[in-house]
Amino acid sequence: MDAEATEATQLMTRYCAGEAAAFQALYALLAPRLLGYLFGLLRDRAAAEDMLQLTFLKLHEARGSYVTGANPIPWTYTIAHRTALDELRKRKRARVRLTGDGGLPAEPAAHVTGVPIEAHQDQADRATPEAARNAVAALDRLPEAQKQALLLTKVHGRSTAEAAMIAGTTPGAIKQRAHRAYLTLRQLLSKEGEPAAPRLTKEAP
Amino acid sequence: MKPDELNDGLPPERLQPPAPSPQLMAAVQQMRPVRPRSRLGAFAAVAVAALAIPGFVLARHALRLDLGALPRGWVVAAAALWASAFAVSLGAALIPARGDVLPAPARGSRAGLGAVLALLVFGLCASVEAPGISLRPEDVHMSLLGSAGHCARFALLMALPCLVVGLLALRRLAPMGGARLGLALGAAGGALGGLVLHFICPIATAGHVVLGHVGGMALAAALGAAALPLVRKR
Repeated sequence: MDAEATEATQLMTRYCAGEAAAFQALYALLAPRLLGYLFGLLRDRAAAEDMLQLTFLKLHEARGSYVTGANPIPWTYTIAHRTALDELRKRKRARVRLTGDGGLPAEPAAHVTGVPIEAHQDQADRATPEAARNAVAALDRLPEAQKQALLLTKVHGRSTAEAAMIAGTTPGAIKQRAHRAYLTLRQLLSKEGEPAAPRLTKEAP
Repeated sequence: MKPDELNDGLPPERLQPPAPSPQLMAAVQQMRPVRPRSRLGAFAAVAVAALAIPGFVLARHALRLDLGALPRGWVVAAAALWASAFAVSLGAALIPARGDVLPAPARGSRAGLGAVLALLVFGLCASVEAPGISLRPEDVHMSLLGSAGHCARFALLMALPCLVVGLLALRRLAPMGGARLGLALGAAGGALGGLVLHFICPIATAGHVVLGHVGGMALAAALGAAALPLVRKR
């Protein structure tokens, strides 16, 4: 178990023992990653923040299901993923989302990658906004399972085994889905007229 | 755009999260200590509940007439196979791997399907009859399908306690892969039904065993796979 997992395990144990401070520390440890993951799935910052709160509420209600000594990080990702899936299903059913006064909900200012506008300026020299937009648009067109595998393994740095546990499948299936996601992304980006569609393997030129 | 810069287009790994909501903090402030689960707790509880009714039936019901005439080794081997199918499937459905919180759905479906397949092969290739003592469906004035349906219903009935108690245990533990864990749970219950039938069902033909006993197990597995996603706690 790595240092982060060990810390999360200790915090979860103290949280189950009734320490509110341990919850705060666990929230500080996991919330940034979970929010990034939820945002990747939902592509809506406000909805991702709502789902984050709901994820922790569910975690709180289910804390008695925690197994002593287990790594809680894949479990929290699983809860977050299921919460996001439920939200996506609701969205498919809902025709239009309105605020209380009947208007459209305001979107917080953020770059298409989800990084706050100010922070994104620092990265501006790394990739053009158009390339980033294309990549995100292509990501949104991936099948749900491929998108999840790509986000977990390539963006969030989860191991294949952890990603498999989160997705409820085998490590082999995760590897296959991530590989297919890369191939699909590459194909989509090529179709959209990227002058130099990136090769997605390390040995690529 | 360089290859590594594709990630610039993907969502960032970390975002600055909002503070916990007042509703969440209120729940946390009011919390009481809870005792975390042990890895084997749910397995033990469901196994005890699942074994109660089949155990009672075995104790009260007359054993099959040909039991003494069948090879003892075969009787023990077949019983061990049914019992192993129960234990392995139930373990896969309820016991998380070391270091994990949730049971692994992929392991559940592998164990459940593997158990059904192993018993199917055993039923087809290793069914044994005691000539003149073991019965055939026609001896009890039933067709093959009629007798198989009768035993499959019985196996399903024996699987119910395992399914119900297991579903209660899993409903909040299976946020992902519920159908596959349900399949393993149902297979475990069905294997228990098959184990009881192994000792009380007097019809020993391979066709009856495969269709009625293993078929009952497969039906229980299908029932579990259908039921768990429906009862999963949201």
